[in-house]
Amino acid sequence: MKGLLESVIRGLGNGSIYALLALGFVIIYKATRVISFAQPALMLAGAVAVSYLAEVTGFLPAVLLAALLIAAVALGIERVAIRPMVGRPVFVVAIITLGIDVVVRVVVNALIGRDVRQMHDPWGFSLVEFGGLVVQQRWLAMLATTAVLVGLLYAFFRHTRYGLAIRAAAFDQETALAQGVSVGMVFALSWGLAGFLAAIAGMFVGTGQGIEQLTWIVALKALPAIIVGGLDSLGGAVVGGLTIGVVESLFQSYQGEVAPWLGQNFAVVTPYVVMLVVLLVRPYGLFGTREVERV
Amino acid sequence: MSESGVPTGRSRRPRGRPLLYTSYAQDMALLDTRAKRGWTLALVVLAFALSAVLVDRSLEVLAGAYVLAIGAIGLNIVTGYAGQVSLGHAFFVAIGAYTGAALSGPADGRTLGYGLTEIWIWLPAAGLVAALAGVLVAPLATRLRGLYLAIVTLGLVFLGEHVFKEWDHLTGGPGVGRPAAVPVLFGVPLHEDGPLGTREQALYLLMLVLLIVFAVAARNLARSRVGRAFMAIRDRDIAAEVMGVPLTRYKVLAFGISSFYAGCAGALLYSITGFVEPGSFSLLMSVQFIAMVLIGGVATVSGAIAGALFISLLQPLTRALPSLLPFISADTTQTPNVFQVETVLYGLLIILFLVFEPRGLFGIWIRVRTYWKSWPFSY
Amino acid sequence: MKSRYLVTGVAVVALLSACGVFRGDDQDSKAAVSTGVTSEPCPKALDKTKGCVYLGTISDLTAGPFAALAVPITDAQKAFWKRVNTAGGIGGKYEVDVETYVRDNKYNPEVHRQVYNEMKDKVLGLAQTLGSPTTAAIIGDLKANSVVSAPASWTSAWEFEDVIVETGSNYCVEAMNSVDYAMEVYKPKSVMAVHLAGDYGADAAAGAKVAAERNKLSFTAVETPPGATEQGRAITEITKNKPDLVILTTGPADAAAIVGQAAAAGFKGRFIGTGPTWNPALLKSPAAPALKALYEQSATGKPWGSDTPGHQAMRAALPGVTPNDGYTSGWAWAYPMKAALEKMAAGGDISRKGLLAAVKTLSTVDYEGMLPPEAGNFAGDPDAATFRQTLVNKVDETAPTGVTIVKDFFTGSTAQSYKMDGPCFGKL
Repeated sequence: MKGLLESVIRGLGNGSIYALLALGFVIIYKATRVISFAQPALMLAGAVAVSYLAEVTGFLPAVLLAALLIAAVALGIERVAIRPMVGRPVFVVAIITLGIDVVVRVVVNALIGRDVRQMHDPWGFSLVEFGGLVVQQRWLAMLATTAVLVGLLYAFFRHTRYGLAIRAAAFDQETALAQGVSVGMVFALSWGLAGFLAAIAGMFVGTGQGIEQLTWIVALKALPAIIVGGLDSLGGAVVGGLTIGVVESLFQSYQGEVAPWLGQNFAVVTPYVVMLVVLLVRPYGLFGTREVERV
Repeated sequence: MSESGVPTGRSRRPRGRPLLYTSYAQDMALLDTRAKRGWTLALVVLAFALSAVLVDRSLEVLAGAYVLAIGAIGLNIVTGYAGQVSLGHAFFVAIGAYTGAALSGPADGRTLGYGLTEIWIWLPAAGLVAALAGVLVAPLATRLRGLYLAIVTLGLVFLGEHVFKEWDHLTGGPGVGRPAAVPVLFGVPLHEDGPLGTREQALYLLMLVLLIVFAVAARNLARSRVGRAFMAIRDRDIAAEVMGVPLTRYKVLAFGISSFYAGCAGALLYSITGFVEPGSFSLLMSVQFIAMVLIGGVATVSGAIAGALFISLLQPLTRALPSLLPFISADTTQTPNVFQVETVLYGLLIILFLVFEPRGLFGIWIRVRTYWKSWPFSY
Repeated sequence: MKSRYLVTGVAVVALLSACGVFRGDDQDSKAAVSTGVTSEPCPKALDKTKGCVYLGTISDLTAGPFAALAVPITDAQKAFWKRVNTAGGIGGKYEVDVETYVRDNKYNPEVHRQVYNEMKDKVLGLAQTLGSPTTAAIIGDLKANSVVSAPASWTSAWEFEDVIVETGSNYCVEAMNSVDYAMEVYKPKSVMAVHLAGDYGADAAAGAKVAAERNKLSFTAVETPPGATEQGRAITEITKNKPDLVILTTGPADAAAIVGQAAAAGFKGRFIGTGPTWNPALLKSPAAPALKALYEQSATGKPWGSDTPGHQAMRAALPGVTPNDGYTSGWAWAYPMKAALEKMAAGGDISRKGLLAAVKTLSTVDYEGMLPPEAGNFAGDPDAATFRQTLVNKVDETAPTGVTIVKDFFTGSTAQSYKMDGPCFGKL
């Protein structure tokens, strides 16, 4: 039972990384109807920025600066490569984001160089004990940070003009435009937010063991997370991310005993299995909006 | 197709009016104008002539491009014509590659093999097994649309990768791999120098012939009842259903045919290098196929071929480009060096192309054609 | 509009003919002695009177999984051949050029093959062909054309290829020796191999298994995926089964995650990592205390800071670089190629055939103390020629690459008696 709970907490920790990334995907999707495959590169860029800045400014300011920096980079990318594509088929734009991913990653890889880069985070692998459970501090830090960020995002979308603008544009771009919402601003804002969240997620990926050039692959786990939650649901992204983290962690801990016939490392593909199972029951994810069809 | 009052068959066009169609069959003909017939013939002749003109390594690159074109045509059937965006193409390519490799592999080797090296055995088999997989996946796919479908099919790639990495009796395992399908045609091994010229010339000709066969088949499919049903589904599936197109049946059919193409492409692709490794069938491969279709032009066979050529030739091209810019260092310790520039260029060229020409190569072609058609009043 | 297409067309044709894609026009105008050897000097020749031997390099230079290692390997080899040229070249007649044909394979077999095809008529051999699946895509052609090549990995498959001149023991032997070393020092009762799949991880795990069986230890193999966040299962298996010894064959960040978290969870057993598992930057990670307490590092060659003529020459040839044993490996891999070239030049048959013949008669190579001369045995059958000495390093913050030797070159009894009759990774 103790092992089970510890495994769940590890899953929640990793799951909150997936959730942050998934939020970025969903925000961009809601605003622009595009899945941005540039998120992995932005995540890695965020982690690299933290690793360099933390040597100068210390950890916490570095995280904030790095997140803002990556948000700025994302804004730049949006302005240069995505804005001209407004109204183009979404798959063309998605492929463009893949091109961006390649370009950004080459630059980031050059910055990573040949050594594993450290985040200089205060948590490392230190443990904390509560109620008989021994868990790593960083899992709790991830969970707490994600909770705070989700709260802030909720407030942002609910109570600010800009949040309202994004929701309006997500609901119907043309109508929003007619009502005086600057859709260009909405696009930029969504990319900026996604960049910000990706950078935080990247930092968390690097806590403990650091990051190397291959770390970007982690970000792909957010794709099944957004499908599980529903492509256009912010809450769904969080639930999806956490679900996938927990299921994956449980499989890592128990699949070897319970179902060895699935092959070693089945945990790697559990996110996709969860996704398929959810979709068999609910084709629009757990919280996605069912499309209303008119002919 | 003969209804009363409508002229049927290959009725002749009035002299001097080459663009006047007098029957439905003429309108739907494979090559409906004389110019098209001429140019297609010229292109095919040119393609065959290249085998005698180009050096072996270029032929090998082109042969690979032709095979990728077969795969891209397949993806275009499900994505371009039927409108079901699939990121799972690499999975079906893998199934074809391993079916071909297993059937033609040596029976006593380290990996599974049955020693049936004749291409006319393993090629259709590879296609059929992949098609079967496509048909099995399709029922799930018919419930979904748009990006949901794209990401679910992406999940297929990851699941497939896991299976292929674990099943090392078939695949040799990651990082190790296995020999790929052996192309032998009626006893003539095409992967060695032989009566058709060098190994590369023989493979080039094989792939070219197969590409033509597959392309013509796809073109014919597109202008048939099935093709029209696909397009109706793409444009508005509910409307199509109302008009009496059975959605599920046609979506399953689209996935099946597309996967058949993918399977054949997979089996052929690795017979060129002679070696196949399970890490090849990744997200990257699926994305490259999507890029081929988008860059070439959605829902056109010639576009898919052009797109496949574009993506395949892009890498040799980006390798050659930095040498024209001597100020970039070839020293790997420096940033930027030629290798980074090369990789960045690959990404950038795709971005630039799609930003400036979202309709793809086919769009450019249409513009050029219009320009000449309306000459001298083109502006 | 019109001029744009015209310009594009002209550019394409110019580019194509520049790349020499037309049949028959890549006959070398240079005075070719043989494929890849010219009597004209190298482009960056130090002595214009000498001819030039061209060697190709195909490596993972930008976006692939081994870019972090491949770049220092490639740099070290450039420096190595520069030193050879400064010292008079090969047989006093030729200089060696490894800079003209350097290509990026992106760790993709198809790309590897393409770039190999582009350079294959212009090089005598390959100074580096990185990766097993990538090299497998060209090995048929290497064998058919006798293209002698130096690998950039230590998989046991290379023992069975004549045209591949490997240096140092393979992962399989390395893991056997690690287990034997642990038997002497820690007397474990159980061994667990935590490994990546394929020619690297499974090769070492197979070696660990052989050694465990011979020493009558209980053995488990845990295959783990690459990626530091994916190591949950490996950590669970370690903390649950509590083996006395873990043979670790992963990437550096994976190793930090596994060792750090297992130690934090109270694991007290020993870890011995296979060569590429280590990276000096791990000492700056939160896993550093755990690594210092529990981790040792097996290696196929002495680390950067060692005191041999070869190491000194390397450090002198690479001034100002951040020490990394990628350089050390790259440098050491070049020695057999140099020995073979010299032997070929002395024999007089300056050609690929001559080079391969020279390789097949090499029974020792002068590594200038970096490795014992018998490491360069390419004569005889694979079992006899396989080099079986490795060393064990301990973590040491003061050393330039974070490790110092704790046990110098040795052959364990398992490796000594093991018959190499096929690549190990197939036997796990």
